[in-house]
Amino acid sequence: MNQTLLFLIPLLPLCCAVVNMLFGMRLPRLVAETLAVCGVAAAFLLTVLFWGYADGAGTQATLGTWLVAGDTAITFALCFDALSAPMTLMVTGVATLIHFYAIGYMHDEEDYARFFALLNLFVFAMLAIVLADNLLVLFLGWEGVGLCSYGLIGFWYGESANARAGTKAFLVTRVGDVFLAAALLWLFALTGTLSIGAINAKAAAIPAEALLALTLLLLLGACGKSAQLPLMTWLADAMAGPTPVSALIHAATMVTAGVYLLCRLFPLVSLSAVGMAAIAAVGALTALYAATCALAQREIKRVLAYSTMSQVGYMFMAVGAGTVAGAMFHLLTHAFFKALLFMAAGCVIHLAGNENDLFRMGGLAKRGSRGVFWLFMAGAICLAGVPLTGGFFSKDGILLALFTHPDPLYRLFWGIGVLTALLTAIYTFRLLYLVFAGEPRGDAHPHELPQLMRWPLWPLAALGLAGGLLNLPPLLGGGEWLTHRLGTLAGRTLEVDHLTEMLLIALAVGLVLAGWALARWRYGRFQPLAEGRLGGFLLRGWNADAVVDLLVVRPFAAMARLCALGCDRALIDASLEALARQTSACGQRLRAMTNGRVSTYLSGFVWGFLLILGWLLLALVR
Amino acid sequence: MIVPFAHILILAAILFVMGLGCALARRNLIMILIGVEIMLNAAAVALVGGSAYWRQVDGQVFVVFLMAMTSAEVAISLAMVVYLRRRRGTLEADKFDGMHG
Amino acid sequence: MIGGAVFYLLAVATVVATLLCVTRSNPVHAVIYLVHAFFDLALIFYLLGAPLVAAWEMIIYAGAIMVLFLFIIMMLELAPGGKPLTVDRQRWIPVALLSLVTLGCTIVLIIQDPGGAANGTSYHASPREFGTALFDHYALAVQVVSFQLLFAAVGAYYVGHGEPRRKEGKAP
Repeated sequence: MNQTLLFLIPLLPLCCAVVNMLFGMRLPRLVAETLAVCGVAAAFLLTVLFWGYADGAGTQATLGTWLVAGDTAITFALCFDALSAPMTLMVTGVATLIHFYAIGYMHDEEDYARFFALLNLFVFAMLAIVLADNLLVLFLGWEGVGLCSYGLIGFWYGESANARAGTKAFLVTRVGDVFLAAALLWLFALTGTLSIGAINAKAAAIPAEALLALTLLLLLGACGKSAQLPLMTWLADAMAGPTPVSALIHAATMVTAGVYLLCRLFPLVSLSAVGMAAIAAVGALTALYAATCALAQREIKRVLAYSTMSQVGYMFMAVGAGTVAGAMFHLLTHAFFKALLFMAAGCVIHLAGNENDLFRMGGLAKRGSRGVFWLFMAGAICLAGVPLTGGFFSKDGILLALFTHPDPLYRLFWGIGVLTALLTAIYTFRLLYLVFAGEPRGDAHPHELPQLMRWPLWPLAALGLAGGLLNLPPLLGGGEWLTHRLGTLAGRTLEVDHLTEMLLIALAVGLVLAGWALARWRYGRFQPLAEGRLGGFLLRGWNADAVVDLLVVRPFAAMARLCALGCDRALIDASLEALARQTSACGQRLRAMTNGRVSTYLSGFVWGFLLILGWLLLALVR
Repeated sequence: MIVPFAHILILAAILFVMGLGCALARRNLIMILIGVEIMLNAAAVALVGGSAYWRQVDGQVFVVFLMAMTSAEVAISLAMVVYLRRRRGTLEADKFDGMHG
Repeated sequence: MIGGAVFYLLAVATVVATLLCVTRSNPVHAVIYLVHAFFDLALIFYLLGAPLVAAWEMIIYAGAIMVLFLFIIMMLELAPGGKPLTVDRQRWIPVALLSLVTLGCTIVLIIQDPGGAANGTSYHASPREFGTALFDHYALAVQVVSFQLLFAAVGAYYVGHGEPRRKEGKAP
């Protein structure tokens, strides 16, 4: 088959998005929804069909020229290789399941065309990021996901809080995009090309200071989309959007785009040791920060949001430690169980009667459907890292990579990772106990749960639990399929003796058990207490919003006020108005000369006579 | 001459300026006309002084003509004043501003 | 020297009288002060060797024109009247001063006659000389001026006569 057909993978969701945008409200509801699902499902099937194209060095396909400037031509090109193929499969597969879930979740919504159009458009943009062969197409997708995320988070824009959340997400990620654009331009200036393969090949020729700066710029760009420090304030508020949106965007796809970017440009960023350390440091600090914040959250989706932030921090740590295989492994398993958790949370909220607050839920294991309970449990144990689940193997792989890194600094990161794992276990079991255990604390009536909201979760649960098979370490008899698949793109190979590995696994198991015990001791029989100062501090995300407001928003507002009132109104407008007023006043004064009074005209005579006299006198003097 | 010519001219100038001020600043028509009279007299002073300075009689002859003109002018002006008073009922110069723009 | 002193005195008196004339609110007072100023001017003219002009200043200007002004003022009842005649010391002082100055100068001029024909080297125009110049050299001008006086008389009559009476009911 012709390799240009690969372009159908991103273009089919785009076409369905356009059709839904233009005609969606005129089509019957079922047609619009089916169109949306078929777009993504077809992309998934095509990815499976073309799986063979990713063997070896992969396949490049070009659709046409985008820009020509001088002797540089930038094309619409995509690259289907060992790194992008699994990612594409994950994105399209998870997106298909989420689309089914969304049909059930949004069946009361009247504005369905806009929703499904945006959802499909988002999938297109994400695929543009994943499949891009040059940085400009990647940037196109980058901006596209930002736009769609804004539209989807603020979907119910009637409530101004939702619109503000969407705007906040867009603006904060935009800050990251600026750094990415700077890196893009600089790379173009250095290498003369924007093709990712060519840049990676020429990476060794770039001077060291430029490499470090480029790495930091790319890191900041990735931080924006992946909600890492310091650009992380938008993710918690983004939970204002519908649950399918949170599942798709903030679990599986957009937040992992930053990790994917760093993996794609790994040959470039790995050349700078300080840069790698910076990446790992950002990941570690964010993981710890987010885990502490998740301990104190009261809304179920906010816990999951901070949890996502923390897990993406792990992925960043993996990239910083030099193992792309570890990062991608955790990315894939995390996509499965986090999407599952979000969708199950949506079911839980439905069952609790649209109640979001954890302190007002409880006892859903007895009251609600058992299926939801087991699904949620499946996702939670993956998140906590219970042995033999997908989450366990991927997290363990990352900690192993950190532990065995030649640079002793990485031991510190490993310590932070271990602490974060403990905190992860605690807040995960806290979530379970608060939602499902004990007696019901709220008094809302459960809503009916459509079938479409249940059955897409089962495949995800299966994938999450069995995800470990993707990259099973040799210790347990696995063949490290993902690492071999990635081949040269996998990064550093991990050489570790079996004893250390066993000890680390034992430590991980111990952390899970300790976390479970602590959570059960505190939240097993839960009485809500008053919020302490530490609790409040963690609840507000270490007051990050207040800090951003103080450092960025207020100076900006002050400057805007200065420009608008101080310069524009007081200087420019005032001077123009003064000019106009003076001209008018001159006119009034001239008008007073024609008042019809004889004395005025006589005065005119006298003044004229004085002028002539003066002129004559001056002539005489000279 | 009994005084320098310049002093006579200074006297004429002072009288002229006072007459001008009266014509400009007063609102009553009669007072405006009186101001005109003062100005004409100042011109007469200058003429007589010139006649004395240059020892010719022509200056004085001109003063006679001046007085004749003045009488004619005053006659018509005062007739006009009577007429305006009869028509408008007021003699304030500011009230006659039909030429205003 | 005497002549100079008298001239300056008379000049000051003229200026003061004119100043007072210009600043009066009552038009009758203004006219009277102006007449006084004309008296002083006439004396000045006599000092400067123009006795005929001085006489005509008195007769025509002060005697005819100013009196005409007074006639019109009184005809139109422009001056506030009805005040009893009282001896207001403040009013009388400037008047008395000025009058005394004028009187003094007149007496000096009568006695000393510095501008006269018999005295000094300053110019003095005798009536014969004046008449010759007027009717010999400026005869045409005399005729023109007399025409103009005629026009003025006719015009004054026409303007002052008023419009012919119309029928009842229409505004004049």
